[in-house]
Amino acid sequence: MKIKENINNFITENASFIFSVPAVLWQLLFLYVPFFLVVYTSVKKISAVAGFDITFDYYQAILSSPYFYIIARSLIIALGVTVLCLICAYPVAYFLALKVNRRWKNGLLFLLTLPFWTNFLIQIYSWVFVLDYNGLINMLLLKLGIIQEPLHMINNTGAIFLVMLYYYLPFMIMPLYSILEKIQHDLIEASMDLGATHWQTLRRITIPLSMSGVKTGVLLVFVPAFGEFVIPAVIGGAHHMFVGSLISHYFLVARDNQLGAAFTIVSGLVLLVCVLLFNWLCAVPLQQLQQKE
Amino acid sequence: MCSTFTTTTAEGVTGMRSFGSYVLPIAVALFYLFLYLPIFVLILFSFNDNAFTCGWSSFTTHWYYELFASTEMWLALKNSLIIAVSSVVLSLAIGSSFIFFGSRESVRRLLILFYGSLAMPEIVLAVGLLSLFSFFAVPLGATTLIAGHTLLGLGYVIPILHGRFIELDQSLIEASYDLGATQRQTFFSIVLPLLMPALIASGLLVFIISLDDFIISFFCAGASVQTLPLYIFAVIRTGASPMINALSTIMLIFSSFFVLLFSFLHIRKTGIPQ
Repeated sequence: MKIKENINNFITENASFIFSVPAVLWQLLFLYVPFFLVVYTSVKKISAVAGFDITFDYYQAILSSPYFYIIARSLIIALGVTVLCLICAYPVAYFLALKVNRRWKNGLLFLLTLPFWTNFLIQIYSWVFVLDYNGLINMLLLKLGIIQEPLHMINNTGAIFLVMLYYYLPFMIMPLYSILEKIQHDLIEASMDLGATHWQTLRRITIPLSMSGVKTGVLLVFVPAFGEFVIPAVIGGAHHMFVGSLISHYFLVARDNQLGAAFTIVSGLVLLVCVLLFNWLCAVPLQQLQQKE
Repeated sequence: MCSTFTTTTAEGVTGMRSFGSYVLPIAVALFYLFLYLPIFVLILFSFNDNAFTCGWSSFTTHWYYELFASTEMWLALKNSLIIAVSSVVLSLAIGSSFIFFGSRESVRRLLILFYGSLAMPEIVLAVGLLSLFSFFAVPLGATTLIAGHTLLGLGYVIPILHGRFIELDQSLIEASYDLGATQRQTFFSIVLPLLMPALIASGLLVFIISLDDFIISFFCAGASVQTLPLYIFAVIRTGASPMINALSTIMLIFSSFFVLLFSFLHIRKTGIPQ
């Protein structure tokens, strides 16, 4: 009886297994197949009469052109934004997770998540009103008599940097907050009871315990910041090419899919190397810590 | 005012106390000012009776009337809502059946597949999707957008639902089988109701992500379909009108409502009386 039941179960389970297939198929068809198609496009020789010839011309064009300089610049800006985000986000997350009392906490968290749910074009566009030639800052400075002529603050790399910092800060604060909130107060109190100062406790206890949040936050900011394309388009005018802007230029304006695919893959590889390097860097201090013990 | 911020637990050394109770709250206050200053200015200018950003002239609600009269905006909103709702339904249906009908072992092993869309910049996803659709000569439009947004959605739905599903009391599912329910009955009458908070929360997330998505829409919408973000982008690019500020203000009100709903569901989910 038991055996028969098991066999029946086995059959029904395997028959209904097909319901779990669409998710995997969807992911394969729309994420992994396209990936191979992009690789294929980037190495396909277009003049071949029939069949498929491999060419690396497009890669050579990318590597030898000043476009490679754009990758380097995007990398530096993304790195700068990430580091500055981390420096600004940590105190805020620390305050929200460990210092603020319950009465204020929910309100502050609500205000933090609100921009998250707001259309991001609007968030970015709102800075135009602050930085513009006739914007808020120029208006105030002129009224106060600090400047005579309006300052030129928009359409430059500084403005792009500022707005990227603004947009990505909540992405850094959220993972930091959620990890800091889980830290047990006992550990901090124990450290203080044993005579450590606040700074020592922060450096030896709180920060090491929050490292996984730092890691998530850095990846959440760095990866999209590297491929950024909307912020330069809205804030920076047309003159500031970033990796994202160049990719969209190749595919949507120049219609040069081969070069675009090669450029996408080269910049994707650069990003992958950075992420792996970062993972390795995060793993090193942990190993050292374990060896000490 | 500052003393209300500090909790009583981690206080002791007086030197640090002044740092914790004065410098940190001021820094956080500055951060919130930084976060909300542009949004306030944006809302303020939606009531400005001046077509350009040239300073303040006088109060008006003219832009709101113009916004509601704009057929283009309503069409874009309709398209966005259709695409968002379809993506939510599709990703929840596909996601929940994957979690339940797949064997536990294979679900655990395949889970990593679904993190792929989160691990790369969205523009790479968009380029891939565009290549796929042009390779198979699929006409760009609402369907291609739904495909892309469902892909984005699965990246959130499956980890959230899986996390919730493995936390469920498995004896409830076993009890259902023991009492003679089929797998389908168990799925619809036991598992889905138990997963409801997670389903609603992740559905809301996918809805917002789809409604907010610009990059995939920009690549895969083609010329026939305009979504709300594409409409906003087009207006910004071609000399903005304060109509966009009015639209932003309305959207801000809606999103605050969504955040409240979301946090309410979250409290309901975690605040079960013990």
